[in-house]
Amino acid sequence: MTPGTLESYLLVGAALFVLGLVGFLTRRNMIIMFLSAEMMLQGVAINLVAFAKFRGDLGGQVLVMFIHTVAACEAAIALALILLLFKRGKSLDVSLWQDLREADQDPIEDEGTPPEPPKPAEFQHLTPAGAEPAKKEAEKVSHA
Amino acid sequence: MSFLFADTARATGFLPFVRENWLLLLPPILGFVGIYALLPRARQTKPLWGGALAAAGLITGGVFLVHSDAVLVERVLFCAFAGLALVAGVMMITQKNPVHAAMSFAMVVLSTCGLFLLQAAPFLMAATIIIYAGAIVVTFLFVIMLAQQDGATNADRLSREPFLASLAGCVLLVALVCILHKAHDTAKIDSVIVSFRQLSEAKNIAQVKRLFGEPSPGTTTPELVVRTHGVIANVDSPVQSDLNNIRHEWNRGDKARIEVIQKHAKNVHVYLEAKRRTTASLGLDDVPRKASTPGHFSPGKLPAENVTGLGRTLFTDYLIAVELAAALLLVATIGAIVIAGRRAEGLR
Repeated sequence: MTPGTLESYLLVGAALFVLGLVGFLTRRNMIIMFLSAEMMLQGVAINLVAFAKFRGDLGGQVLVMFIHTVAACEAAIALALILLLFKRGKSLDVSLWQDLREADQDPIEDEGTPPEPPKPAEFQHLTPAGAEPAKKEAEKVSHA
Repeated sequence: MSFLFADTARATGFLPFVRENWLLLLPPILGFVGIYALLPRARQTKPLWGGALAAAGLITGGVFLVHSDAVLVERVLFCAFAGLALVAGVMMITQKNPVHAAMSFAMVVLSTCGLFLLQAAPFLMAATIIIYAGAIVVTFLFVIMLAQQDGATNADRLSREPFLASLAGCVLLVALVCILHKAHDTAKIDSVIVSFRQLSEAKNIAQVKRLFGEPSPGTTTPELVVRTHGVIANVDSPVQSDLNNIRHEWNRGDKARIEVIQKHAKNVHVYLEAKRRTTASLGLDDVPRKASTPGHFSPGKLPAENVTGLGRTLFTDYLIAVELAAALLLVATIGAIVIAGRRAEGLR
């Protein structure tokens, strides 16, 4: 195999695809996971463009344009979802959404996760008693 | 790479397979051990070791790719872009800071665009730069800015099952490389090309005889010509007359004219080199294909008017797909607005 031939491009595409796969499997940040998926698409695009040149057929390049279309849609939806999940969980960590796992699976604890900070001690609250203090005139008007 | 594996007898079993293909297995394994060491973890090793291992994997892979002495512009550019893409890809999946990861992703996209340009796809290069580096990466940086204002979090410092994931990636890459190697075994055409190069540089008839053997009444076709026919597998090929002339001269024995043989051998050599670069492998040159439709050209050749050809193909063969893509974009836009526009509970 020499550089510049079909097989060398296929090799680079395969390597990018596998790198994206490893990134998607290991990282816990939702944004990096999404970027890894995009990198897998780039590997596939290299394959398609190399085959288009090899066969003298522009269909491969057209297919890459469709990949870009779908990737743009995917990016829009994924960013909206990431923002929604961030609003709910206040973090980009996918581990927060482990509740979605199957019922009989144990939650995954990554090696080296720091222990949860102890919750502040709860004290007994007395039930309010006695007469309610009189409110000012302005507040009464605004409530009415 | 095939010069390393001239022996075509395939071994069975795991250990014989490893012994036969260990040079092929070395780069992916080195690379993934390096990535495993580089992935963020609680007890992080020094990034130097992981980086050195991954670089060793990349360099060994490159050394197996480059075994010819000729330095061509395309090869240099290919090696530069491919190496940059892989290095930036490794950096993307091992960075702790998501902003740095997004910048590495932009680097991967730019290097990929260089590879597109080398493969005669200038429009796709421009489109990819605009869409990915221009739009997607910038949007991601905005989201990171919104979401992660207080630096790296727990999610960035730890990775999930780094060993199993890099093992899975390594196995997948090794499988792909082995299949590619089997499908693209160019040993046959390589040996023929070498013979014709020697033939075109032969000084006298004695050297030609050493390559071809003595003509005898039983054999009128030299063995090299028979092998060439086996490689190109096409009687109407443009070098047929060259091969016939070589055979004719060879049959004249000692009276053969060396300059005629040299000239024809040079023609055949040039043709075979071009064929090896384009359609030597995969046996795809024998696949019947539609001619005279837009978007179909001879193998290895795409028109210089890339945008014209692309537009013609897009709006003839793929018209319905274009309409569907437009509908998909509209649906995705509406979906994104609906999902992201939702306020937190109780505010509406």
